[in-house]
Amino acid sequence: MRKFGMLKALISLLCVILLAALITGCARKSVTTEAGKPRIALIMKSLANEFFKTMEDGAKAHQKRHASEYELIANGIKDERDVARQIDLVEQMSAQRVNAIVIAPADSKAMVSVCKKALDAGIVVVNIDNKFDSSALAEKKVKIPFVGPDNRKGARLAAEVLVKKLKPGDPVAIVEGAPNAYNAIQRKLGFEDAMKAGGMKIVTSQTAYWETDKANQVASGIITEHPDVKGILCANDNMALGAVAAVKAAGKSGKILIVGFDNISAVQELIKNGAILSTIDQHADKLAIYGIEYALDILRTKKSPADRETPVDLITAETLR
Amino acid sequence: MNSTNRGKRKIHIAAADYIGLALVLVGLVVVFSLSTKYFFTPTTFRTIANQIPDAVIIAVGMTFVLIIAGIDLSVGGILAVSGAVLGVCLVQFKLPLAIAVLACLAVGLLCGALNGLVVSRWRIPSFIVTLGMMEISRGAAYLVTHSETKYIGSAIEVVGETSVLGLSLPFLLAFAIVIAGQVVLARTVFGRHMIAIGTNEEAARLSGINVAPVKLAVFAICGFLSSAAAVIHCSRLASADPNAGNGFELQAIAAVVIGGTSLMGGRGSVVSSFFGVLVIALLGTGLAQVGAQEPTKRLITGCVIVAAVILDHYRHRLQEARR
Repeated sequence: MRKFGMLKALISLLCVILLAALITGCARKSVTTEAGKPRIALIMKSLANEFFKTMEDGAKAHQKRHASEYELIANGIKDERDVARQIDLVEQMSAQRVNAIVIAPADSKAMVSVCKKALDAGIVVVNIDNKFDSSALAEKKVKIPFVGPDNRKGARLAAEVLVKKLKPGDPVAIVEGAPNAYNAIQRKLGFEDAMKAGGMKIVTSQTAYWETDKANQVASGIITEHPDVKGILCANDNMALGAVAAVKAAGKSGKILIVGFDNISAVQELIKNGAILSTIDQHADKLAIYGIEYALDILRTKKSPADRETPVDLITAETLR
Repeated sequence: MNSTNRGKRKIHIAAADYIGLALVLVGLVVVFSLSTKYFFTPTTFRTIANQIPDAVIIAVGMTFVLIIAGIDLSVGGILAVSGAVLGVCLVQFKLPLAIAVLACLAVGLLCGALNGLVVSRWRIPSFIVTLGMMEISRGAAYLVTHSETKYIGSAIEVVGETSVLGLSLPFLLAFAIVIAGQVVLARTVFGRHMIAIGTNEEAARLSGINVAPVKLAVFAICGFLSSAAAVIHCSRLASADPNAGNGFELQAIAAVVIGGTSLMGGRGSVVSSFFGVLVIALLGTGLAQVGAQEPTKRLITGCVIVAAVILDHYRHRLQEARR
């Protein structure tokens, strides 16, 4: 009797496996032939950063206006540097069989392989805000179109306003963003481009990881150690806020000029009264929309498009009037 | 031993408590003064004096919590949410400063009291409770500010700019809180009970100490001090940032442990925690002035923390041997 028990168990197990295979096989077919709206997953970086909050709001507003064209699933990570969580998100979205992923990667190199997996599964991937590293893309033999601003050009534009106010030989300092972020590296290069062209001397360049409090500490140290510094270039507005406080605490308001990037609401006052000289508006609300429209384009035409550069605007006291 | 001898021994031990830390501080000042041009200047020390008040106040609260063998991971989050409330009151509702500050302090007190309530009522380890509160308060901070940094400006800067006898209000406040904290710890029944609970909670309970209200009070005080630090933090940066206080809990614990408070509870001093904060602030400022790269800064800071704790271990052993 026990022998038959074993046989029965084996047969039932085989039946279960067969059934499961049939079901999943049918399910796969039905999803691809389903005539539904395309589902687009928007995966951003840190939702703690108001830049991405603005991006999410812009994307949601766009989806409401075009509700018949697509469905939107928006997600972000808690912390700018949480690459592992972002990888999880991409895998979850792939498992949910979305039609396209529009992603602002937390790391330009580490996110490439999981996006390749998504591409292999037939999902369209569009890269926004922070560009994937080209050598990493070449190594994995993938092409992912990038939609976003030229951070280097934008940073140079903002820094050139400072160049006009200074003389050749004047010392300046740079407060960088997170050292492994592509846009941070590009903005630093853009600042350096402008400073070299203007003949200014960069006395130091330190990172404050995009954070206001760290930037305050770093800027205070810079001001104390280089008392004749005339300008501080910050890779984002949050850090520029920290630098403004440091300059004020040192009693050097007006003597040290500050440049930012992002045009967050908190700096509008400061630009109008001159505490911050200039910043760049990347149109965060439109960045996601450009990415989504590009994804919809690719889904429709099935072509592999080229990178698209989005416009940036220089913001100064004059432009705000 | 007659009373004069006993008095002399007390002062001797008190001084010995701080000698180790003083040595570390002097050592750091010497190293940085030699490697930079402008470290040993009044400007540097004034900058540090302006930067530490919020860290000092949080360290006082953390000292209390560590003494009762607890831990509070939510100080950074509570700072952020209280600061967020302060910012929104001033910018959106245009309330007068006094009311906004009261609202801010109330939020901190509430969060701290919640921590204390769950820890004492359900006997859940404070690590988990405050971890949960850390997430709750951080999320609340983002909700209140819509994830935006709120620029406040002169309405709050007045706190930092008011000065009495040349010392800024935040610095005096921090100083007063350190003195008050040390007095409570060393000279009141409440302080004695805290140390007893930290040394052996069960023994304290059995000898008739009512443990639950003490624990609740300690966590409430820590939350309240975090929101007081938020007022000073916001005035220093002239803005309310929902990302503020990120990592403050670990900085505070490092400062308090460097100061000689044991992570196991039952032993600690508020004044030593102040010196611990000073060590970390000196390190941070010195490394920024030297122009060290970020990885180097972190390596050095980590090494200093471990070295200071090892030094403290030997200092404590010496003290025990002398008794």
